[in-house]
Amino acid sequence: MLYGYGGHILRVDLSSGRILREKTDPAYMLEVIGGRGLNSRRLYDELKRDIDPLSEENMLLIGVGPITGSLFSTSAYMTISGKSPLTGILGDSAAGGFFGTEIKTAGYDQFIFTGKSKSLSYVYICDDHVEIRDAGHLKGKDIFQTTSIIRKELKDNNLQVAAIGPAGENLVRYSIVACNNSRVCGRTGMGCLFGSKNLKAIVVKGTGMVSHADPLKFMELCKIVDERIITHPEFQDRHDMGSNLLMKALNGLGILPVNHFQKGTAPYVDKISGQTLAKKYKTKNKGCFNCNINCSRYYVTKEVESEGPEYETLCSFSSRIGSQDLEFALKMNQYLNRMGLDSLSTGETIGWAMECVEKGIFDKNDFDGLDFTWGNTDTIERILGLIITQEGVGADFAKGTRYLADKMGKGSEKYALHVKGLDIICGDPRGIKAFGLTYAIASRGADHLRAEPFFELTNRFDEAEKRFGTRDAADRLSNNGKAALVEYTERQALLTDCLTMCKNVGLSMDVLDFKLAADLLMAGTGLKFTEDVVNKALRNTITNDRLMNIDFGITSKDDTLPHRFTHEPLLEGDSKNQVVPVHDMVKEYYKIKGWDENGVPVKP
Amino acid sequence: MLVIDPNKCSGCRRCETHCSFYHSGKTGHMGARIKVEKIEISGIDFPVVCHQCTEHYCTKCPRKAISITKRGSIEISPTLCDLCGACEMLCPIGAIEIYNDIPYVCDLCGGDPRCIEACEMDAIFFDPEIKQNISLALFKKKTKKMTPAMKRSEYAKQESAEIRKNWLKDRRK
Repeated sequence: MLYGYGGHILRVDLSSGRILREKTDPAYMLEVIGGRGLNSRRLYDELKRDIDPLSEENMLLIGVGPITGSLFSTSAYMTISGKSPLTGILGDSAAGGFFGTEIKTAGYDQFIFTGKSKSLSYVYICDDHVEIRDAGHLKGKDIFQTTSIIRKELKDNNLQVAAIGPAGENLVRYSIVACNNSRVCGRTGMGCLFGSKNLKAIVVKGTGMVSHADPLKFMELCKIVDERIITHPEFQDRHDMGSNLLMKALNGLGILPVNHFQKGTAPYVDKISGQTLAKKYKTKNKGCFNCNINCSRYYVTKEVESEGPEYETLCSFSSRIGSQDLEFALKMNQYLNRMGLDSLSTGETIGWAMECVEKGIFDKNDFDGLDFTWGNTDTIERILGLIITQEGVGADFAKGTRYLADKMGKGSEKYALHVKGLDIICGDPRGIKAFGLTYAIASRGADHLRAEPFFELTNRFDEAEKRFGTRDAADRLSNNGKAALVEYTERQALLTDCLTMCKNVGLSMDVLDFKLAADLLMAGTGLKFTEDVVNKALRNTITNDRLMNIDFGITSKDDTLPHRFTHEPLLEGDSKNQVVPVHDMVKEYYKIKGWDENGVPVKP
Repeated sequence: MLVIDPNKCSGCRRCETHCSFYHSGKTGHMGARIKVEKIEISGIDFPVVCHQCTEHYCTKCPRKAISITKRGSIEISPTLCDLCGACEMLCPIGAIEIYNDIPYVCDLCGGDPRCIEACEMDAIFFDPEIKQNISLALFKKKTKKMTPAMKRSEYAKQESAEIRKNWLKDRRK
């Protein structure tokens, strides 16, 4: 018997309607662990490289890990992967909540969707019953409506529904998949991938249980992790504010994106901080499966109520676009989740337009009469409507900032803040150098979650010396030791994605090390996961991702940062006068990885 | 009995996970004796567990397999029970459900309920002194022909109306 794992891989070909249930192969899983590692390997083995991401030949994968849904705290995640419609390279996005655990209790480790359905459909999976159902009546329905209609027609309020909204149906390149309304796979346009396959939703019901090979040993290990979490110095703040604590924290460090990264501090930060949100609008904490921090929240404002938002959404729809209106950001959080747009990429297109107008590159007439002045909430609401329906200038916005700036030209390309086509997250790399390197080398583009080197913000200098050979690795403004730090946390990040656990806990709070993970995997699955086996799997996955991206056309020239972060120093705040010497850092990173100077992995 | 404060519940299902692990070494919603109803659209999370109601509907078991323990919890004799499903049907709130040939109902873990230790939100209390003060007679009428899952959902919806009223009063003044 296979412990821990769900035991099956489900293949659904939407063109022919053919459904295949394969047994999970333990030897294969030892090489990939699960989750994102499993998805990446599947793409590496089976995906044709030179395809249009929107074509039938693209694959849509959903993977969970060996201890997803187990006693292990925060083992809630799942990853959706495919060739990204936004960037044209490796795309994937993870979400917590309860969808991942349901996949496991339904008896699966991975769903593989290929082909394209003739008309809008949804797939209903209840244990070993799999059915492709018509979704004609769900056309144009938002994500909240879709979830509720499907639950009603299948007469089960506990169904886990991963759905797309109108943005996904209309193939907005950065549209999202939302699980049970508010748990969102936001980045790299996985909702667009759903839409391109005429797939409105995936609905899962699992009535099984997650088994553990050695339950008592597993429980002991879980207790170690639990203890590390609840005694962690950040525990209380994370419980109270979740990731929104970063609004004030990053402002203090001078790296809060303000007016599209032109400044690193906002004098009005108290109006839009996590503290204010918790005090004025939060009604209670919310949590993903088996979490002991419960960092999410439910909020009620005069106009809307919903779960969320996370920091990236809050910042994208406040200081990043020059708005001081917290209620507006909360309204947008709910709207974006309903309609199905990624808040980061959407926020970047808007921020780019606002800066271009401020710089005098474009004016109203270039944007269908829309007035892109900082924080103009009316314009923001109107452009969102146009993006979702792909009307007028919205059709160009819907293809992402890189496309938009390339098309409109006039030097506006310089202000399109992306790496490899993926819009940058809300953390100014000029004051957090390891993050800068992470954005540059991350295999899905300008993203922190590939390696989130939060370590450089924690002042643990002795630990830095021990792990990375220099105390500077714990100094956020230093460039030293950052390649070693990123190489380490990149594996740690992948590990959390493979298990699948929450990155805030496993990575940012640094509660998971490779030895403990190997012990957990062994006690959970009974397979011979040692620290070496785990690290080999992680290194291979990172190498394969790189090789795949090279096939997609990525070269060392793409491992860089937008001009602003390498050449324009911040003018005020606690990261004043800083830029990121990204070129040298990338070279050092290649060296540590054993890649050649062009960033190509060398065969051992 | 177990006292639930749904105001505090975050819906993480940690109680379920630890409940099912304690009883079987496995984890899963169906293997838990406390089940969290989640109504995402209105932000409600509501753990449903045996209330030891004054009516004790389940004790009308045709096989007389169900008795009440000293602690007030339900005890089901595995030798007398023939899985007829009457208890599942009789319980108004879906706190008893048959899964893998066992009727699952809260047994208070022999006096040391694991869900309480697991809950980081302090949404569950155990008070051995409080017994049988909740009547489900009014709610019972609504639940004819419902499955246990539907009953839990309906119960959560009804019981949380007050919570939502307070939220709106508080946040929309």
